[in-house]
Amino acid sequence: MDVLRNKARDLLAQGQVQVVIGYEAGTGGARRPSFVRSEADVARLVWDADCVGNLAGYLTRAEIKKMGKIAVVANAATLRALLQLTAEHQLAEGAVSALVVTEEGAVLELSNAQAVTEHVATLPASLSAADREKLDQLMALSREERRAFWEQELQRCIKCYACRSSCPMCYCGSCTMDCNRPQWVPVASHEMGNLEYHTVRAMHLAGRCVECGECGRACPVGIPIHLLTCYAEESVRRQFGQPAGTSATLNYALGTFRPDDQETFIR
Amino acid sequence: MSRLGVFVCHCGENIGATVDVTEVAERCKHMPGVAHAEDYKYLCSNPGQNKIKQAIEEHQLDGVVVAACSPRMHEPTFRRAVTDAGLNAYMCEVANLREHCSWVHEKADSTTEKAIDLVRLQVEKVKRNKPLDTIQVPITRSALVIGGGIAGIQAALDIADSGHKVIMVERSPALGGHMAQLSETFPTLDCSQCILTPRMVDVSRHPNITLLTYSEVEHVEGFIGNFKVAIRKRARMVDEDLCTGCGECLQKCPTKNVADSFNEGLSMRRAIYVPFAQAVPNIPVIDTENCRKFQGKKCDRCAKACPTKAIKFDQKDQIINVEVGAIVVATGYQVMGTERFPEYGYGTYPDVITGLQFERYASASGPTQGVIKRPSDGKEPETVVFLACSGSRDAAKGVKYCSKICCMYTAKHAMLLKHKNHHAKAYVFYMDIRSAGKNYDEFVRRAIEEDGVKYIRGRVSRIYEEDGKLIVKGADTLLGGEPVEIKADMVVLASAALPNHGQGELAQKLHVGTDPYGFVAEAHPKLRPVETTSAGIFLAGACQSPRDIPETVGQASAAAAKVTALLSRSHLAREPLVAEVNRKPAPQFSDCTGCLLCETACPYQAIGHEEIKDRNGNVLKTVAKINPGLCQGCGTCVSLCRTKAIDLHGYSNEQIFAEIMSL
Repeated sequence: MDVLRNKARDLLAQGQVQVVIGYEAGTGGARRPSFVRSEADVARLVWDADCVGNLAGYLTRAEIKKMGKIAVVANAATLRALLQLTAEHQLAEGAVSALVVTEEGAVLELSNAQAVTEHVATLPASLSAADREKLDQLMALSREERRAFWEQELQRCIKCYACRSSCPMCYCGSCTMDCNRPQWVPVASHEMGNLEYHTVRAMHLAGRCVECGECGRACPVGIPIHLLTCYAEESVRRQFGQPAGTSATLNYALGTFRPDDQETFIR
Repeated sequence: MSRLGVFVCHCGENIGATVDVTEVAERCKHMPGVAHAEDYKYLCSNPGQNKIKQAIEEHQLDGVVVAACSPRMHEPTFRRAVTDAGLNAYMCEVANLREHCSWVHEKADSTTEKAIDLVRLQVEKVKRNKPLDTIQVPITRSALVIGGGIAGIQAALDIADSGHKVIMVERSPALGGHMAQLSETFPTLDCSQCILTPRMVDVSRHPNITLLTYSEVEHVEGFIGNFKVAIRKRARMVDEDLCTGCGECLQKCPTKNVADSFNEGLSMRRAIYVPFAQAVPNIPVIDTENCRKFQGKKCDRCAKACPTKAIKFDQKDQIINVEVGAIVVATGYQVMGTERFPEYGYGTYPDVITGLQFERYASASGPTQGVIKRPSDGKEPETVVFLACSGSRDAAKGVKYCSKICCMYTAKHAMLLKHKNHHAKAYVFYMDIRSAGKNYDEFVRRAIEEDGVKYIRGRVSRIYEEDGKLIVKGADTLLGGEPVEIKADMVVLASAALPNHGQGELAQKLHVGTDPYGFVAEAHPKLRPVETTSAGIFLAGACQSPRDIPETVGQASAAAAKVTALLSRSHLAREPLVAEVNRKPAPQFSDCTGCLLCETACPYQAIGHEEIKDRNGNVLKTVAKINPGLCQGCGTCVSLCRTKAIDLHGYSNEQIFAEIMSL
């Protein structure tokens, strides 16, 4: 942890970055985001196994971008999001440095997309073991059972859009959900509208989701909503072999037109 | 509130017999926003159109729905009519009551109800229509012709003669294509090269034509009127400006054993060569795959022999970028090789040859100076069997289609054999004789009746070698399937004409469609035969399907006429039904997030990006930008965009949504 704090102090002192985004102690032993802008605040930074949140969501915010050059304490999901955001032209190449704490306790500074790409390639699969198990259980159900499961779960959705706000890939300035000419999706949180909202969100994240699980953690009523987007992502990866968050160049399966596509109808 | 007019057409009995047209008009009167509704027998007629115009003036309509046939049929008619009455053309929509309703349903109340629903959809749409103006795109007034065979030559000359610049790209080192290989041409038996070479010279001398031989199209982007083409001019290793075509180098080359593709492999050429004596341009090419110098050996005999020092071993491929307004595809065909026929020996019998090889033997410029010999021992064959439909009209082993030219050239081949060797016997196995064309049937009759060519109706099941003869086993179906066996000295396969090699890749570069066989597809088989599915790209000759010289020349001139018509205008009007990225007040500027996922999704490469800047030139936001000249209005980007920042003019999200919600 000291290595990380020292690194952050150095970066701020030398003016290489203006803000270090990391984790600090929150209430009840939880970890919350920390925006360290002066050397004095460096001591707030912590790093341990509880630092699971994806901090990449902050990188695209206008108010954060205004602060200047950013260093972000990055776990695997944050790194993947960083790459995907770069691929989608939301982050300029080199605008963000990632600080990665290795298992040995050393701190790596990955200051360009190339370095992040190479590091991500060494990381294991992004889905946690617990999520993997839940997803497999869900997939073992019949279609009807699965639909019943989601209908049951989504009944509780209050459409607070916490999942959307927490998602690093939901960076759009104006969301389809807020569009009212035409009103694609009803605003009220009733059964049909809820299902519509979450289906649209899963489709928008298919081929883009970095499987950080942030939306599931953000849900105030405890819907494991991340399983929906993770499954969509997994399907795309399986069927088109184009995984999200592994490269800083765009490789979006649902938006790729290729004259040599294996499906002949498209040519 | 809109003031819309609804006009319901009976289309004679076509709609009127199944749909209660009067009821439709009556019910439409009560739809919100409809100020006037009426029905009429034939709205597309002049009195019908006048009714629309009168109603627009009388009821001060601001939009029109015509409930009639498919918009593909008469949308332009009705749009013109409303324009005459002072409305914007795009304030008129067509509800398809014929193809979508009356033709596919029985007469019933529910049919009429469906018709009313179809009108209601369009009423809701027109309410939200916005006046649109056609897009004016400037035209680059020059053309690219791909392929230097007779089709390309004719098209290039016609376009150039009309005063437009032409860039002609030919893959091989010389112009001429297959026609330069032919001996005599049916049905007049005039010498192919004699009629072709003046045209080749015309091309090379024409002030409006830039000829690029030994070159290929590398990359094409852009759209009708504005294509940007990268052409790879392959290194000849001979400086075209210095070379005088004296031919000294050809004599000195020590490599003499390269199969001559111009002679269909029947003779050998050197590593530095000119494809044929009358070649245009008459500039040699070094075949680097066979040249000793390029195989790492010491040799520069050609360079030493060259009086003008034109041999440049260090020449590199050049990429030439050109801008053109139109493209003519004239890439021709290839013939199926003898190796494709297992029952005729898989190409292992040297004396089983293709029609194109026979042409080289019969040609005065060929490997035998026009004496018909056989490849195995160079003797003049006494008995020659010609097999029409080798691979054609044979779905199981070859291609389904008729190669069209074979009946005629087989008759010609048999005739030429008899003319050159009066004692020779010529047999033709055929399925049917297809000799439709001016003087064509007379020509075949002449072969049979005057020259004594034996025509046998039947297929050949097998050919094998025995005692230096080829045993041709077939059946004569006119004699009730009687087996026939002929001991032949040579067999000529009128093998199927296929799409030229590389045709598929070129079609993809050009974004033009191909048919199931791989030939370039025409936009409409009857009414747009020389246009491709991509606007501004035309086709001529056998790249579309097998065809003979007169037809090819006619088609090439037709394509040239299309090109000339296009290039005679300075601007091109395009339908304004294109997608656009929206704009919003600051600080959003646009719903577009600039993720540019749409960029790769666009099948027409119409999407790029643009920077929204403030007064001082600082970039505020980077957003997607759709080029209206390239956009085809397919809507792929619209459905892909997460923030609905893209909308299609004339088919906006709001319009489609309103249509659906009206049901």
